[in-house]
Amino acid sequence: MKKFLRQSLVVVLFIGFQVHARAHAFLDHAEPKVGSMVTNSPAELKVWFTQNLEPAFSTLEVDDAQGHPVDKKDAHLDEGNKMLFIVSLPPLPPGTYTVVWHAVSVDTHKTQGHFEFTIK
Amino acid sequence: MKKKIYAFAVIGLGTANVWAHGFVGDRFFPPTIATDDPFATDELMLPSVSYYKSPAADGSPAVGTTDIGFEFDKEIFPKFALGVAGDFLALKPDGQPATSGFDNITLTAKYQLWQNDKHEAIISLGGEWEIGGSGASRVGADSASTFSPAIYFGKGLGDLPDVLKYARPVAITGSLAEDLPNSADPDSLEWGFALEYNLPYLQAQVKDVGLRGPLKNMIPVVEFAFDTPENRGGGETTGTINPGVLYETPYFQIGVEAIIPVNSGTGHQVGAVVQLQIFLDDICPKWFGHPIFGH
Repeated sequence: MKKFLRQSLVVVLFIGFQVHARAHAFLDHAEPKVGSMVTNSPAELKVWFTQNLEPAFSTLEVDDAQGHPVDKKDAHLDEGNKMLFIVSLPPLPPGTYTVVWHAVSVDTHKTQGHFEFTIK
Repeated sequence: MKKKIYAFAVIGLGTANVWAHGFVGDRFFPPTIATDDPFATDELMLPSVSYYKSPAADGSPAVGTTDIGFEFDKEIFPKFALGVAGDFLALKPDGQPATSGFDNITLTAKYQLWQNDKHEAIISLGGEWEIGGSGASRVGADSASTFSPAIYFGKGLGDLPDVLKYARPVAITGSLAEDLPNSADPDSLEWGFALEYNLPYLQAQVKDVGLRGPLKNMIPVVEFAFDTPENRGGGETTGTINPGVLYETPYFQIGVEAIIPVNSGTGHQVGAVVQLQIFLDDICPKWFGHPIFGH
């Protein structure tokens, strides 16, 4: 039994410490931050994910309080970091905005989410 | 229905965010320990260890039980999965020699009947067949089979209004099953639910409150699991309350809970469980994470 548990521990640790850019991609953090209030209209929205994304199948959109898209429709991955998704923004008036994202990781796992930020 | 508990102490404290299956809309529902989740997906729990002590009853002594088990589920058709579970039991009755052996094998089936992504809600139907006589009688494995049709549900509170936004990370999952032994043993209603506060959901969907390190991948949970005999002098309802926490990595989940008996009929001592859930679809997406037939 002890040998079995030791062997199992080795297997699990091996799995846990593998460095793979795979698995489901989740939002790690964003700028503006999730649920934050900012004083200036940001020039772009940045969202960092936990895995590399497939840009052709991933989307990032910013909507106003009425649900109308307000971004510049140029969502793209950062050249040097395929986990960083960026979309440019025009000058936005004060108000609450909703970020809607759909992510497809490089191994085709799909995730989605949304959050708000507010411009004072 | 038996929700077997699988444990392993693993020091895999990754800092990346989490997880694999069990999605409804924006919501990830983690696999729970004492109660079954409503998802028909590829799952592997291997190995597991739990300890609890059942009280003396009907002239039999109290028994300390170490339970080592596994469970494997595979999606066969879209939203329909079959599974198999087994346990190795090491029993130590008070004042008597220890004994050990395998419990009965249990086969499971589950179908995701309905879901609503916007409201993070899901309902599934399924059942279990504990194969009588497949385990060792010396550890109490029944010679008769038990069939357990069941219904499962899940609901996330992500649709709450802004004034209640800090409650949006809350989710509840639960199940209701009717145990029908093919013997003179009483029928019983097996019921329970899990309440969780999803910290990764808080960070990603509600507000970045600055959680860092392992904390941002944790999901505090409290589970309630009960068994109510319905006939043949089956006795009172027994059950446990299991407070704990689930920790998520990209490839597996570690869950740790205390097992607190709700009454003397259940027991007098607090037990413990540690569960390891391996996310097969993230480790090997070529073979797992999609049905064998259909898509």
